[in-house]
Amino acid sequence: MIAIFLLPILLISPKTYITLTISGLAMGMLLFLVSSGFSLIFGLMSVLNLAHGALFAWGAYLGFTAFSSIDKWTGWGGSSSIFTNMLIFLLSLVAAGIGVAILGVVTERLVIRPVYGSHLFQIFITVGAMIVMEELIRIIWGPNDEPMPVPINFIGSLDLFDVVVSKYPLIAIVIGLILYFIVFTILRTTRLGMIVRAGVENPEMVQVMGHNVYRYFTGVFAAGSALAAIGGGMWATFVKSINPAMGGEVIVFALIVAIIGGLGSMTGSVVGALMVGLSYNYVAYLIPKAALGITMLLLVVILLIRPTGLFPEGT
Amino acid sequence: MREKEDRFKNPYFSLKILLLAFFLLTPFLFRSFEILDVVLKIIIFSALVASYDVILGYTGIISLGHVLYFGIGSYFVGIFMGKLGWISYGHLALAFLISIVISGVLSVLIGLFSLRIRTIFFAMVTLAFMEFTFILSSQLRSITGGEDGISFKLPGILAIDFSYGKFLGVEFTGRLISYYLILLLSLLLFILMLRFVHSPVGRVLISIRDNEQRSIALGYRTYLFQVIASSFASCVAAVTGGCFAMWVCYVSPDSSLSVPIMLDVLLMVIVGGMGTIYGGIFGAAFLMITRAFLPKLQVLIASLLPGVPFAIRLSERWLFYFGLLFILIVYFFPKGVIGTAQEIISRKKAA
Amino acid sequence: MEEALVPDPLLQVEGIHTHIGKHHILQGVSFEVFPGEVTVLLGRNGAGKTTTLRSIMGLLPPSRGRILFKNRAIQNMKPFEIARLGIGFVPEDRGLFNFLTVEENFRVAMLQKNGDTEERMEFILDVFPDLKKFWKSKAGILSGGQKQMLAIARPLVNRNELLLIDEPSKGLAPIIIEHLIEAIHRLKEHAMIILVEQNFYMASKLGNDFHLFDDGRTVHKGQMEKLVRNEELKKKYLGISG
Repeated sequence: MIAIFLLPILLISPKTYITLTISGLAMGMLLFLVSSGFSLIFGLMSVLNLAHGALFAWGAYLGFTAFSSIDKWTGWGGSSSIFTNMLIFLLSLVAAGIGVAILGVVTERLVIRPVYGSHLFQIFITVGAMIVMEELIRIIWGPNDEPMPVPINFIGSLDLFDVVVSKYPLIAIVIGLILYFIVFTILRTTRLGMIVRAGVENPEMVQVMGHNVYRYFTGVFAAGSALAAIGGGMWATFVKSINPAMGGEVIVFALIVAIIGGLGSMTGSVVGALMVGLSYNYVAYLIPKAALGITMLLLVVILLIRPTGLFPEGT
Repeated sequence: MREKEDRFKNPYFSLKILLLAFFLLTPFLFRSFEILDVVLKIIIFSALVASYDVILGYTGIISLGHVLYFGIGSYFVGIFMGKLGWISYGHLALAFLISIVISGVLSVLIGLFSLRIRTIFFAMVTLAFMEFTFILSSQLRSITGGEDGISFKLPGILAIDFSYGKFLGVEFTGRLISYYLILLLSLLLFILMLRFVHSPVGRVLISIRDNEQRSIALGYRTYLFQVIASSFASCVAAVTGGCFAMWVCYVSPDSSLSVPIMLDVLLMVIVGGMGTIYGGIFGAAFLMITRAFLPKLQVLIASLLPGVPFAIRLSERWLFYFGLLFILIVYFFPKGVIGTAQEIISRKKAA
Repeated sequence: MEEALVPDPLLQVEGIHTHIGKHHILQGVSFEVFPGEVTVLLGRNGAGKTTTLRSIMGLLPPSRGRILFKNRAIQNMKPFEIARLGIGFVPEDRGLFNFLTVEENFRVAMLQKNGDTEERMEFILDVFPDLKKFWKSKAGILSGGQKQMLAIARPLVNRNELLLIDEPSKGLAPIIIEHLIEAIHRLKEHAMIILVEQNFYMASKLGNDFHLFDDGRTVHKGQMEKLVRNEELKKKYLGISG
């Protein structure tokens, strides 16, 4: 399977291949951030949260506000020190994450709780929530596209071994990997993680063992939302702009990634996201119009081979 | 024979006749074109929503890509009339026919897919498919006119500029004739759908929706029925799409294939009520009227609250309130307004 | 039996009715369970035994009646609250977390680490030595018998006074069942056990008391040794002879 990703080398020059691979990986990492939350929430709580995209957008907007405010105070965004650049960037992401986590908890309590158990009503009510959240963005920040401020040192590219590589995707990949490892570690080694993984497999049994699964639900929802928010902030920095409808644009991709990887599986999210990110970038270079097509194709092929996605719940 | 008599005596029957009369007389009751436009859109979308209800409410399949077929219907009319310039009644009918066939076949193919995957997956996949087609039509300029879409004229007496003189104070224009043609088509579709859900096939569908396991145990090839139902619904959707294209004489990805339209349909079916074909009428009316008149209301309110941009924006975004209202409706009227009404009525009968 | 002091029942089920959707499954189930005994719930398939256990555990709250655990009404409590009171549950499908290791399964089950936890773990691993062997392996790869042992062992890691076990012998070979019977024997001193069992042999070997279920009601009770010899009852409610 990995061999498939090496195929494009035959068609693209090595240098371009590296550039594309890096942007593919970066895109993959960001998709992972958004889809992992969705996947885990579905896996654990069996809840379809179509408003997840709106949380993504909120993350971008909160990050935008945080960045602008911090920058106004400290000027770190424009400073030449990469350290302060990184600091302001990370701080805005953290602020976005926390803000959206809170938003997530509120959403879970008010909107999701009443519709546990019915996927249909979850679709309905989360669509409503998505509309409300998107409109709220328009109300608070205005309906227009805004340029997203980027720390000065993130712009531009590096010259690595004679290959021109944009700086930001590298940063995105690194941050994405770090977050992945944090999530992975929490899930694999902590008791909390064990209970969550057990809950994804069998929420009823976890209750029977004396744990209040609902508290874990809220926690996972908050965490998933925070991840989506960070993904949003980073995505905005990637494309250098934000607009209220960005949630709707990304949710379809996130959905596809989550399905390909297998709902409820973290490993699946990562693999699925990287697959989609890479394939999208390669194809976009070769045949621009077919880029989305390849994603769809991937979805169809994988569902035909493995109807439940690549990895089972709880991995 | 008793059944037929009862049907006529049924008070709800007279309500339906009243509604039909209203639609028939609208051009005469209201001289404003805007109102005619809103009413016809209600009619068209009622049919679309009802077709979605056949899948969702009666068969219990959650599809998020139903508007795909609406788009197919629209695009065939648009491409035939516009891109290819085949402006004639025959070609118009042909466009409808082809879109019906293609929608039917496509939904069968997608249905084949659904056997292998879980319900929610299916929902997401259908959404992805529709989105994909949306992007496809935005990009294939040569065939679909890309993002800008295709504007076109209608043949003969349906054309906007056709005029025949006055009748009871109302001008006999192509518009008027189109209105009645679409009304007729929609009425036929409605009758077709009602017959379908009340037929033996329809009853099997309801039993499948309520208890799939039992239906399988009883020997029904549930999958087959589901495919039949979704084919039927998609064909109906295609026709409504064609009607829509006829009315606005324009087709584009945003106007016929977009996710927001799917969301609208979803909203309408919830507000109206699932499993109640008529719910579509209420839902469509609710959405169309709100959409047409709330912005006017908000302009009014905005003029009363000058100054603070935040306050203005708060009043500007009527969709925000609509979203909140929608959540409340889902919460308190899970069966939709018509659905809840039906339930209350049947409870009263049982008492 | 000749004691002047009658011990308090650990669990009292009083006339519970439970519905699943529209179906009236339990139509009046009553019984009491005393500490230091193994009580077996017997009856045909569909008689309501599993539903009773699930009602006790709070997974299917009864619509009528009371359930008292140590004189405390628990019929309206949530499953996790009931678990914390000291009731362990081993469902029919075992409820294992197959993607977690044996060790992780125990860690999820363990609610509190206190003084005797280590002792208990030692005891558990002594009774079920296979679990030690597969300590770091995923629960999913264990054999049927081992899975059942893990399922029963798990709740023991807490100070549970009552253990509800649903059809442990299901799908197991006779020799494994023998092992299971031995193991459960050893558990008797640590917890009161309510056992639902179709396998009459196992039931008769382990049970002190029994309660017969028929059509969602408790219809008969008594001591196990008497039931073994009562052909009429056995045939009528269990469909077995000899």
